[in-house]
Amino acid sequence: MLRSINNRISQVHLTSNVKQTIVAMLGVTFGISMYVFMTGFMTGVNNAQTDLAFSSLAHIRIYNDGPADNTNIAKKIYPNDIINLRNAKIIKYTEGIKNAASITSVLHNQPDITDITTQVNINVFFKNAGNKVNGVICGVDVFNENKVFNISHYMVQGNWNELKYRADGIFVGIALAKNLSLKVNDNLNVLTSDGVTRNYKVIGIFQTNVTGVDKTKAYITENAARQLLAVNQDYVTDIMINVKDYNKTQSTVDKVTKLTPYKVESWQMANQQLVAGSNLRDIIAVAVSLTILLVAGFGIYNIMNMTINQKIKEIAILKAMGFSGKDVTQIFLTEAIIIGLIGGVVGMGFGLFISKMVNRVPFNVSGLHTLPMAYLPKDYVLAFLFGLVTTFIAGYLPARKASKIDPVTIIRG
Amino acid sequence: MEKNIVLKAESITKYFYEPEKFQVLKGLSFEVRKSEFLALIGKSGSGKSTLLYVLSTMDTDYEGRLTINNRVVTGGTQNELAAFRNEHIGFVFQFHYLLPEFSALENVMLPAMKLKKRSKAEIEEKAYQHLSLLGLQDQALKRVNKLSGGQQQRVAIARALINDPTIIMGDEPTGNLDTRNTQIVFDIFKELSKERNQTIIAVTHDDDFASQCDRIIELSDGSII
Ligand SMILES: Nc1ncnc2c1ncn2[C@@H]1O[C@H](COP(=O)(O)OP(=O)(O)O)[C@@H](O)[C@H]1O
Ligand SMILES: [Mg+2]
Repeated sequence: MLRSINNRISQVHLTSNVKQTIVAMLGVTFGISMYVFMTGFMTGVNNAQTDLAFSSLAHIRIYNDGPADNTNIAKKIYPNDIINLRNAKIIKYTEGIKNAASITSVLHNQPDITDITTQVNINVFFKNAGNKVNGVICGVDVFNENKVFNISHYMVQGNWNELKYRADGIFVGIALAKNLSLKVNDNLNVLTSDGVTRNYKVIGIFQTNVTGVDKTKAYITENAARQLLAVNQDYVTDIMINVKDYNKTQSTVDKVTKLTPYKVESWQMANQQLVAGSNLRDIIAVAVSLTILLVAGFGIYNIMNMTINQKIKEIAILKAMGFSGKDVTQIFLTEAIIIGLIGGVVGMGFGLFISKMVNRVPFNVSGLHTLPMAYLPKDYVLAFLFGLVTTFIAGYLPARKASKIDPVTIIRG
Repeated sequence: MEKNIVLKAESITKYFYEPEKFQVLKGLSFEVRKSEFLALIGKSGSGKSTLLYVLSTMDTDYEGRLTINNRVVTGGTQNELAAFRNEHIGFVFQFHYLLPEFSALENVMLPAMKLKKRSKAEIEEKAYQHLSLLGLQDQALKRVNKLSGGQQQRVAIARALINDPTIIMGDEPTGNLDTRNTQIVFDIFKELSKERNQTIIAVTHDDDFASQCDRIIELSDGSII
């Protein structure tokens, strides 16, 4: 017999009180669609945040960390004596990375590294007549800089690649341009901490939407920056690296640390607030959706309990006719699982629908146009599984209770 | 056990503890033969229903020993007893306890679908036969809650017969029927016992009904008199 009598009984129960069945299904549908929507939204927000962050942040950065802490150098040699040093001075300390080419050639052999670029970063004053603004000039490898940071994407005026051919060209952040009343083709005077000044021509304006960057940063070519510092061809201040999966930087950091004497730092280490924010959002999303699922589970539990109380006489009859406790459990558990399956499938569809709707809501902040949303199959599968587990538990408890009904007590009345 | 004994009760004793300790069945011993039509009578409250539930294997909370079809059922697990009832005992309640969401036909088929000894087509065929026997062929596909009380009781009887049980037990099976329907049910029971050698144990208030049976057991305050 293909379809057992138990399944037939479940089917009749589900179809003879359609309203009640639908209410139970809606509980699951609501829980699962909220789960799908919440996780999609949070992932979307995290992704938007990450995209924003990676417009000025590489996955891994190599730099010269500066001299070690020598405030109490004598203590290192005479740890048990009391020694008083005043006005300790660092006599010699090398800045930046001197042998960049040899390091990058080693890095190119690492399989998990996708892109590498070098930078010469200089703290400067930008001057336009009386107007003076503190900022950073970033001397870049035009081609590789774009591969790591996708900076050409953020140009609002001018063409990124033009920098290659313009030794005197400079790109400035949109807020910086505004503060100095600069337009394309205007001249910009730069003063370094060593007292060197130079003039550049503004050939473009960029907007990363990270306010700190747009307010203080300017790009020139790497060689122009070296000239400004009067250093040789192999000098850089930073080596920026992108890896295949930005969530998995630790193994690369460990490997690269062994290859260079310089400080190797992942974006997670440098921006723990970003990681914390993203983790917190994930936790909130999961907590909210699990709460909703739990509430839906209670709904199913209540409805199943109600059904079983309504049908207590029928259960007694089934048992009197020879149906075992196991049969009764199976009948009611099947009902719960069918409610869970259908409610779950509809829930995934409805969740997708809500996500698409919310994804269209205009949101013009920080380079976004609409509210962000992610559509990960993993989230949908997980929501469905959670929903199924919830209904299984919510159905199993009343079903087990039903299986223990003593037919005599019911029939005797 | 003798070959033609289908049910043997030995010192069946049962107490109720609520609201206070009270002995309902006081060491009842008797035997029922194959194809016997037995009437169980006695005043209201004498313990007839209680005894019948013990005999049906549904109530396991008693002392003594019960043997049905050469099998000691006392001490069996709930699941064993459920399977045993399904195959060997047909039960008709005083109130036609049917599954209201199913058709008359499906209600009758239910115990056989559980037993799984025949194909669905065979079971359906047999269920139709039994319904016709009880004059219900036209009602087969109706939901049982659309039928009259007498019709529902006859559906319940057809259901009790579907697995050809050794024993058919009825707790006032004609209690809610008019004289005409009572006679129909009685004739069916008689025919089952005489022609199919099935054993009938029926609790009844109806002296007329009892007097037509093969044997009468009368209970008074939990004892046989
Ligand atoms: N569940 C119960 N709890 C306590 N006493 C009961 C219960 N069921 C029946 N009784 C008592 O047991 C006695 C026998 O009841 P029952 O077997 O129903 O009698 P009958 O069917 O002969 O009218 C009665 O006195 C009744 O009050
Ligand atoms: Mg009674």
